[in-house]
Amino acid sequence: MLTRDEVLKIAKLARLELSEDEVAFYQNRLGRVLDYMTELKAVETSKDAFVRHVPLDAEPFREDISESFGGRDALLKNAPALEEEGFLLPAILESE
Amino acid sequence: MMEFNQLDMRSLLEGYQKKQFTVTEVVQASLKAIDLKNPKLNALLEVNAEKALTRARALDADISKASEKKLFGVPIAIKDNILVKDWQCTAGSKILEGYRAPYTATTVQRLEAEGAVIIGKANCDEFAMGSSNETSHYGSCRNPWDLERVPGGSSGGSAAAVAAGMCPASLGTDTGGSIRQPASLCGLVGLKPSYGRVSRYGVVSYASSLDQVGPFSRTVWDCARLLEVLSGADKKDATTSHLEVPPYAARLQESSLSQVTLGVAPQWLQGVDADVKEAFDRSIEQMKKEGAKIVEIDLPRTRYSLSVYYLIAPSEASSNLARYDGVHYGFRAKEFKDSEQLYNRSRGQGFGKEVKLRIMLGTYALSAGYYDAFYLKANQVRRLIQQDFEAAFQKCDAVLVPTSPSTAFKLGEKTDDPLKMYLSDIFTLPVNLAGLPGVSVPCGLDKKNLPIGLQLIGRPFEELKLLQIAQAHEKIQGVLRLP
Repeated sequence: MLTRDEVLKIAKLARLELSEDEVAFYQNRLGRVLDYMTELKAVETSKDAFVRHVPLDAEPFREDISESFGGRDALLKNAPALEEEGFLLPAILESE
Repeated sequence: MMEFNQLDMRSLLEGYQKKQFTVTEVVQASLKAIDLKNPKLNALLEVNAEKALTRARALDADISKASEKKLFGVPIAIKDNILVKDWQCTAGSKILEGYRAPYTATTVQRLEAEGAVIIGKANCDEFAMGSSNETSHYGSCRNPWDLERVPGGSSGGSAAAVAAGMCPASLGTDTGGSIRQPASLCGLVGLKPSYGRVSRYGVVSYASSLDQVGPFSRTVWDCARLLEVLSGADKKDATTSHLEVPPYAARLQESSLSQVTLGVAPQWLQGVDADVKEAFDRSIEQMKKEGAKIVEIDLPRTRYSLSVYYLIAPSEASSNLARYDGVHYGFRAKEFKDSEQLYNRSRGQGFGKEVKLRIMLGTYALSAGYYDAFYLKANQVRRLIQQDFEAAFQKCDAVLVPTSPSTAFKLGEKTDDPLKMYLSDIFTLPVNLAGLPGVSVPCGLDKKNLPIGLQLIGRPFEELKLLQIAQAHEKIQGVLRLP
């Protein structure tokens, strides 16, 4: 079982603002799921075992050539708040 | 008038070639079926009749060349977590409400290049996190076989649209069973390709080491045809394989059941509903009669799949979903005093209950002090699961298991207990963890008249063999009717 403070810490790391009800809800749910997962402790595993999920012939490297995307306006149209052609954010620096 | 929306994809293709009907007629029939059924099913979240009909007319002008395109005039629905330029792409989430795709996913480009007509965007669980389509911000989707029941998930809308005759095929994504489980619950063929077979470019990322795009259809031939269009290397997805894509559909008949050995793991079948078990056993018997050799296999570590999956997938999700912060696109909270509050509030209000659970689960598993015990350990056990399959494939060509332990369940039946819901994917999760191809095919109806699915699991990149076995099975059982 997780403590209330642990849930708040995880939420902070995850950048999620939770209501009081949600904190209680996730304290219970996370606790229940994590309890179940402790079954893995009993499995014997070797330290260097790790899955390679990418096919052997996949090519992670490619020529570093820039291409124009051409969808600039479409991207800007999706912005929740714009000022001219910039994404609008609250001020980071306090004004003197 | 012919009921075009009752036809499978292959029949449509043949009809166009014989000039029996036009693409416009077929698309109109699709749109009519959507008008009639979508208000009850909520399978499609966006439909654009004008776009579809314009496209249909353009194809009709070229109908003499129908045979040159592999999907000429085929209406297809696309899961709403796959980008189609200018269409909405919500991934079932409030945080992406109103988002319009600025470009098209590689998979959809490939469908369109072969003549497909995009008919709509399909409902799904929020960010593909769910097994019942009930986590969608835009409301649950319902199962055409029984409106009180779920279509499965996360690609519930894609499955329901095909089962309801709105279109003969659709695209879904599968991270832990999200194509195969709804295919099973809706009586369709649904395939998750080997990891790296199909491009993920333009797909809303959930868990990048597990996600794959794949097709829903009514028949194995249709599935094979769709897969050959979707598959192949893509320079925009560095994890795609360069292995040659076989003409799956043309080669379906090349192998018979007498040439294959099928593996069954008896310990897997405990806890499976009686009707599902009975249908599974019947399928095995039928294939045995047709010459298939059946061997017992053991997959001891797959029993940890649920724990492994629900550590790895949420860990990757917690990273992938960090991009939704209310700045560049999507939902932004109304009130905030600084940047930090803007991020935290937009995310807190924009994400649904299950998504926040998984983000926090992943954040926890990756956090200092817990990484080794949870994330690292899960990856080590993932390797053991992969090894279990490698050992099994020494003895057989494909592994058979029911797709889901039960048929379609009622809305709300499993929403209170996350583990109960997660267990409906217990036979599909290990396939993603091991990067293998898996296909669900219908294998009968239960006593409540609900479809049952049989899952065939193959070696990496042996989709052809898998589809050949599925085709032989379909020949014995016949194609399942629409509800």
